[in-house]
Formats: sequence, structure tokens, C-alpha cells
Amino acid sequence: MKSFEFFEPTTLAEASRLFAAEHAQLLAGGTDLVIGMKARTETPQSVISLQKIAGLAGITRYGGGVSIGAMTKVRDIEVSDEIRNGYTALAEGAAEIGSIQIRNLATLGGNIAHASPAADTVAALLALDAQVDIAGANGERSVPIDALFTGPGQTVLTPGEIITRFRLPSPASGSHYIKHKIREVMDLAFIGVAAAVDMADGTITGARIGLAAVAPTPIRAMEAEGLLAGKSLTDALLAEVGEAAAAACSPISDLRCSAEHRREMVDVLTRRTVQEAVARAQV
Amino acid sequence: MSDYTVVGQKVPRVDAIEKVTGTAQYGADVHPAGMLYGKIVRSKHAHANILSIDTSEAEKLPGVRAIVTQADVQSGRRVFATDKVLYLGEPLAAVAATDADIAEEAAELVHIEYEVLPVVQDVMEAIKPSAPRLHGDATKDGPNRRGIAAQIRKLSRDKETDHGDELRALEAALEKYPDEVYYNISAESHSEAGDVEQGFADSDIVVEDTYVIPRVHQTYMEPHVSVASADSSGKVTVWASTQGPFAIRSGIAGTLGIPLTQVNVIGTTMGGGFGGRFGVIITHVPAVLLSQKTGRPVRVQMTREEEFLDGRPAPGCVIKLKTGATNDGRILARQALAFWDSGSVSGASIGSTIRVRGVYKIPNLKVDAYGVHTNKSGTAAYRAPGAPQAIFAGESQLDEIARRIGMDTVEFRLKNMREEGDEVPAGGSEPRVGYKETLQAVADAAGWWGREKDENQGWGVAVGDWTNGCGPGGVYVSVHEDGSVRIFHGSMDITGTDTSISQIIAEILTVPYENVTITRGDTDSAPYSTGSGGSVVTFTMGNTAKLAAEDTHRRILELASERLNANVDNLELREGAVHIITADPPKSISLGELAAYSLSTTGGPIVGKGSFARQPSTPALAAQIAKVEVDPGTGRTRVLKLVASQDVGFAINPMTVEGQIEGGTVQGYAWAMMEEMQYNEAGNVNPGFVDYRVPTSADLPTVESVIVEVPAPNGPYGAKGVGEPPITPTLATMANAVCDAVGIRVNELPIKPEKVVNALRSNGH
Repeated sequence: MKSFEFFEPTTLAEASRLFAAEHAQLLAGGTDLVIGMKARTETPQSVISLQKIAGLAGITRYGGGVSIGAMTKVRDIEVSDEIRNGYTALAEGAAEIGSIQIRNLATLGGNIAHASPAADTVAALLALDAQVDIAGANGERSVPIDALFTGPGQTVLTPGEIITRFRLPSPASGSHYIKHKIREVMDLAFIGVAAAVDMADGTITGARIGLAAVAPTPIRAMEAEGLLAGKSLTDALLAEVGEAAAAACSPISDLRCSAEHRREMVDVLTRRTVQEAVARAQV
Repeated sequence: MSDYTVVGQKVPRVDAIEKVTGTAQYGADVHPAGMLYGKIVRSKHAHANILSIDTSEAEKLPGVRAIVTQADVQSGRRVFATDKVLYLGEPLAAVAATDADIAEEAAELVHIEYEVLPVVQDVMEAIKPSAPRLHGDATKDGPNRRGIAAQIRKLSRDKETDHGDELRALEAALEKYPDEVYYNISAESHSEAGDVEQGFADSDIVVEDTYVIPRVHQTYMEPHVSVASADSSGKVTVWASTQGPFAIRSGIAGTLGIPLTQVNVIGTTMGGGFGGRFGVIITHVPAVLLSQKTGRPVRVQMTREEEFLDGRPAPGCVIKLKTGATNDGRILARQALAFWDSGSVSGASIGSTIRVRGVYKIPNLKVDAYGVHTNKSGTAAYRAPGAPQAIFAGESQLDEIARRIGMDTVEFRLKNMREEGDEVPAGGSEPRVGYKETLQAVADAAGWWGREKDENQGWGVAVGDWTNGCGPGGVYVSVHEDGSVRIFHGSMDITGTDTSISQIIAEILTVPYENVTITRGDTDSAPYSTGSGGSVVTFTMGNTAKLAAEDTHRRILELASERLNANVDNLELREGAVHIITADPPKSISLGELAAYSLSTTGGPIVGKGSFARQPSTPALAAQIAKVEVDPGTGRTRVLKLVASQDVGFAINPMTVEGQIEGGTVQGYAWAMMEEMQYNEAGNVNPGFVDYRVPTSADLPTVESVIVEVPAPNGPYGAKGVGEPPITPTLATMANAVCDAVGIRVNELPIKPEKVVNALRSNGH
């Protein structure tokens, strides 16, 4: 590890000021950053811990929905009754990250700010229509999660901007996340698919589908979502939805699998997630 | 079944507490005063000429104490690359600094100028004339050309007759095999029995396939580490994480030109080895060089990434296999042509290709194997080296034949299995073996005969054979005044071997297991001991321990005879005391009393010794059955049931034996389903546990172990080596189960979801 300066600010304003410097990195849970620093792929000159800033962690009710602080541990999200019942896909995504030890360190903010297209919580946040609150030198702003990412490892955050919390609207009727992987636990997502549906009288009134690891950024499968609105679920409709989701992605081939396989799995797993989300909505 | 009181029992391991509490001392726990941190400078290219190595900037970094390159190796033996590198991560130099971060920084400041050369990673490409040559232009002939060339040589030697026409015909025949001129060959191995061409001609069914098995890493938990300390007299002490301290001692002495006994190797608790922890150069020699240059202790510890780049993993290979059988299920012929990926140096276990013969009566067998150079690190042993690869091919193809002739795959195997006295193709005849018993045991335990399955579920079976090795060892035993027994030896404890040794000595000296303790010496103090690999330890050290205990037993009776004034023939050692058999009232003396008495005798303390080197070993079989469910949508396979039987001869500790069976089976499962070192032009592209997947306990149900005991005549209490056999059949077990589930046979491991999905699609799913 290269040497670096370490800061533990107690206010967001101070953290933001420090973070605006060149070669500065934020330390949340450290589960990505510290590994990168040890491998010398990350060589920050300053590391700014968010640990000492009050109010950045916790799950609270917010209007009809919930607010999840950026420093909330992924494990707390995984085991929260509030999230498991109302935002099941997010709890399922959180449960897929690393091991329990990792999840006790990792934060939701870190998982998203790292901007890996394969992040396990991101597909669910897309499907659950999360709003991302950001603090910076010029005050606060908020962007929808699907406008946050600009490329692998890249976001719309400007120097000094820090994600403070995620706001989720009132729960969808049902949601589900599936990750394609080889190993049962502690694997990276080959792809991730989340779906959330609103239902009334057996009809889907609205649907959102989030896809991870199938494009340079996490994406929504808008066309597939549109196919579902106002309909009842049938096998034929599911097949169309799967195909539309697959058509929405632009995956790469890498050492994990081929682009063709990723696209095919988007088709298969979109059908399965939507089906399960609908089943849950009808319970 | 036995009258034994300690052997055959599930006693807790002697190292249980230190392992569970974390007090066991591993290599990285060794920290002598003044220790420096070493780091190896590694090639950034998979194939390149080295134009220059400039250490000047690194030397200037504060905290750097020494940098060594090949120029520092006075013996001239190759430790670092000088003018050419053959793989990504190949060592070029090593630095020592006052802390690990400075050492890393300095390693980056050693400037290497490369001239990058073309790379070859695929063995089937490497043998072609178009491939870059790693070690010169020499070629080897393939199987057909070899045969013809041999005939040409033979006829040419016959000066009495004119063979002109024949020779011209043979020369013409050579021309028919232009693709059989192989480049980049590191080694070859050939065996033959009977006439395979005739065997195939007589067969009703002939199946031919190509099997591709990836290179996998042993993934022991503890990366390589050594701490070396050279003193002013030239004496070198090395704390080494190794399976074989004595091999490391001679390796260091030989490589660096140091007198053998000027090197003392202290084996530290081993965090797994699996055959991969015998290398000398890997960290030990660089650590010694750095310590010699600085006069301070130096630790060289590999990271996990370095383990993948520069460890010595198991070779991958391509095996072209052909088998002929009759419709009533008799195997008539088998032929293999194998290309083993040896990496940049020779050493892949190509001789193991012969294991395609399995444990079957195959009257006609031909095996041709080649080691092939590629731009990868060299290879080493991994749990039954070479056998899982060859047996995967052999047992997959047998399964396919059974399917095609419509015969139950277990019955097909039973019908063809060898028994005592049967000829082993290209290798003598069988002693008393338990092949059929072991297969039957697993079939019974798994419920094979009444098996049921739902849609997309399947059952697979396979067997694998292996014979434990053997080697020299020595053991001392002392009996103390409190009646306790101390064992002293120089063998590394590998998954419970110290426990088995302690059990054997407790059994013979009739003392409670808890009263026996065991101490491992370093190479300065302990008698020579063979390395802890090749399933040798319980066989070799078990026999050695038995001899030492028997020697101690003799001395005990001798002392008791003197003390009790009784004839030795009238004495018996039982329950920790010597009894006069015919005495009435009973008369006896405890071991503690005898030990105390011994101190004031002419003869002196009770010390026994055992020394042993070699006895013929007996083959052992592992047989496994898996039930799986394949998700045809995603191609993922879930194991529902995994049952593993093994003929262990005699289980000295059934608990540690079960541990070995479970561990080996899981490693075999991993090789079948997920493990794979991936390479491209740049070198190894998955040097870490993110993209090199090893399974976790969530991937498998509990492996059900079934112990079969067909005693080995020369094993201690009939024991056979148990560590290696269980990995040998699992690769094929899994492939056969997947095939039974969804009707597709994946011959290229690992059986990743993508391959299953693609195969299903091309089958019309």
C-alpha cells in the first residue's frame, strides 16, 4: 500500500471540501477501496473517512417510502424487516454481496458510488425507482438512480460531491432480484436482474426492470417495462418481455462469459424475476 | 471389528486446539528481531527478451537494504531470469527493505526493458510449426511417425540385407503424417500392451472423443512464505512453509552451493499443500539470498496474486481418447494421445496418462503422452498428480459406452474390473484389491439400484484409482517418569498424520492417547523424513512409528524383567504397565515407575527408534456417485447428493479419513464445475479468488463418506494412503451426472453454465 493522508471529518461540508482535492478517495466500508489500495490499483493521496459524520446511516420512514442513509451497512438492509417486506428485491440484492463479514462492513452508498455495472444492489434500486441525494460544495441535489451512472466506475458526481442517502417511494406490490452466478455465494454477478411491479385486480399497472452487468452502466429495460403495463401476465407476454429486455442490453464478452450468454440470461432471468415479482404482488 | 483400543478410533487431532484457537505458528507468524521484508520483482510480459535490468533507482529508495539478481547467485544455478522471460510473473530480482510497503515500492522501481515476443498458451497451437519456440527448434514425432521411424531405424541397422524398397515405402508413409511433427515438446511418455488396432477391429462399438481439462491451482489457504536468516559463519536457517523440509534443505544447499548441514530448515505449520508446497526456488532461495546479502533475517511472502502467477499449479491437458467394446459390455481396446500443458519448464505429470486404463481388464492399450511448453509458470503435483485429468477422460468415455450399449454404468464397470491376479495393462498383475467392494459399497450407500429422479435430475458414477507412495523416515520414542510418551520426528503434519502416528504408538505401548505427545524437529535435529505428499505419511511414518514403538516395547520388557526379576517371556505390557503373566497374587510395574527406574540403571532411559524406507504399496480405489439437478434455463448445476466410498485399507482414524475423503471430493467437484486458470496473450488473467472460483460450503451438500477396508499387506495395521484417491473420480462423476440429467456431455471442463446452455441449445432445447 502506498502512504496517504487520512482524514476523519465530522461534517459533510468538511468532507466535501477535502474530497474535492485531487487524488482524494472516500472511505465508507472500505471493502472496495482498501483492496484496491493493497493491490496498488488505487493510490489515493488522501483518504477521507465518512465514519465520524453523524446521520449518514440508518433506515427511516420517509413520506410513504423509506430513506436509506448512504453509510447504512448492506447487512442492515439485508436483515431489515422494512426492506424485506416492502422492497424485497433490494434485500435480496444486498444479501448477494460478498460474505456476511463483507456485508457488515460494506455500505449501500459505497456499493453505488463505486459505480460497478455489476453491483448487486443497483438493479434493485433501479427497479424500485430510487432517488439519490447528493451533498456538495454548492449545496444539495437529487438525481434519479438511472441518471447517476455515466460509465464503468463513473457517475455524474462532481468533485467533492458525496452521496448522502437513497429515497425509495412507497413500496411496489412485488419485487424480486436474481443474480446469474457460478458459485452459490460470494460470487460476482455475471448479470443481475431486478423487477418491481404494481398490481391492481390481477392487472399490472406499472413495472420497472433493472439490469446489471449487461451494459457499461446499470440500465432500465424500458421497452420491456412498457410491454407489461396494463396487462395480465401470460407466458406469451413473459417471452416478449424477456426478449425486449435482452434487446435493451449491450453486454461485453470477458473472462467470465460471452456477450451472447449474458444476453440470453437477461432473457431467461427477466422472465423469472417478473414472474416472481408478480407472484409476490398477488400474495 | 478389531481388538484395538486406540487405532481405528475417532480420537481428536493432536493439533485441534492450536488450530481452533489460532495459536498455531504459520510461516507468516515468524518474526525474528531485525527482520526485513522481501519482495520479488516479476516479469510484466508472458514472453519477452530482457534487454536490461536497472536497479539503481530502487536502490536509492530509503529503507531498501538489498537487491539481488541472478548476478548474486554465485553457484550459477538459475534462480532469476536474465535474458528471457517465459511467463507473466517470472522472477527477475528480489528486494529487501525495512517494511513491506517500501519493498513493494522498490520492486516497482526496478526498471526492466523488454523486447516483447509472440506468446503461445494453447497446447494444440504450441505443437504446431507456426508457434513461437520457447526452448529451441527440436521436434518430436507423434505416435504414427514414431512407429514408422522406429522401423526405419531397425531396417537401417540391418546392413546384411537390402531394404531399399521397404525403406522408401516407410519414408513415404512418414509423409502421410505431416501434422505429427510436434514442436515445443518438453517430455514424452509411451506405453503399449496388446494390439489396439486389432482390439478396435473386434469391437462392436468404438467411441472417440477429445477431453480438455484446465490448469487448476492447489489454492492452499496459506500462500508460500519463508523467513531466512544467514549468520556470519555462513549457517543458514530457514523457516519454511513446506511439505518437505529435507527436500528444501537439499534444494537450498544445492542451488546456492552451501554445505548440506549448513542449512537448517524449520517447517512451520502448513496451511495446506496438496502437492504444491515442495518448490525450492519459489520463496526460500530468494529469502536466503537476501539474508546473505544483508546479514539480517528476511521474510519473503507471496500474495495470492503471486501464487496464481508464479505458483506451481496442476497442469491442464488435452486427451484424445478412443475406446472399443463389445455389445455385451466387454472393453477390448483403448488408445490415448495426450498433450499436457507443462508451462515454461518440463515437469507435468504426463506419465499419469496411463491411468486411462483405470481398474479394468483392457487387453489392448496404447498411450502416447507429450508435455508441451507454453508461456505459463511450471507445474507441480496436485493431489494424485495427473490422475484426475486422465481418469476424467477414461471414466467419461466408459459412461458414454455404457449408455450407448444400454447397460447400467455400475454393472458395466463391475463386469470389467480387475481382481487379484488379473493382468494390469502395461504393468504387472493385481495384488489383493478392493475395487468391486468399493464400487458396490458406494452404489449401495447412494441407493443406486433403486434410484429415482425428476425432470432435469441425473445420477453419475465414476471410480478412480491411486497407489500411495513410500519413502524414508525415522522416529524416536521416549518414555518419561510420569508414564507419558514423547514422539520425535521430522515429518510435516499433513491433515492429521501426527494424530495417526500418536495413535499407533499409544496402541503398542498400551497408554492412553492423551498421554502421548509429538514433537517435530527441524532438519538439524530430526532424523531424515520424506516429504509429506503422495499419500506417504501414514504409510511410511506409520510403519516407522510402529517399528519405534516395538523397539520401545522391547526395552520396556527388558527393564521390567530386570526390575521384577522375571523372564521376559513371562511378561506382558498392557494398560500402561508390565505384568508378570503367571504371578499370583498379580505383580506389575507401571511405565512411569519403569521410566524412573531406568534412570539409575546401566542401560539408561527408555528410548526406542524406528527407521524405515520402502515396502510395496497396494492400489486403492475411490468410487463416487452424485445426484444433480440442472437448470436448463441458466445451465447451473446443483448437487443434491454426493456419496464417496474409498478403500483405505484400514482407517487408523476414521474421522481424519472422512475428512480426507470429503476434502478430496470437494476439490474434484471444484475442478469439474468452476476452477480454471485462464490465460491469454498477457498471461494469467484471473489471478485471484474473484474470478478463480473455489466452492464454499453453500455449493455442496455434506459429502457422505463410506469407508471400505481391504487391508494392504505392508501398511501399518493394513492402512493405505488416503489423501489422494478421493479427488480422482469426481471430475467424471459430475460430468456423468450432468449427462444423465440433461443428455449433454461436457468434455471440456469446467462445466460452466454457459457451456451447458450452449450444448442444450445445439441439442435443440
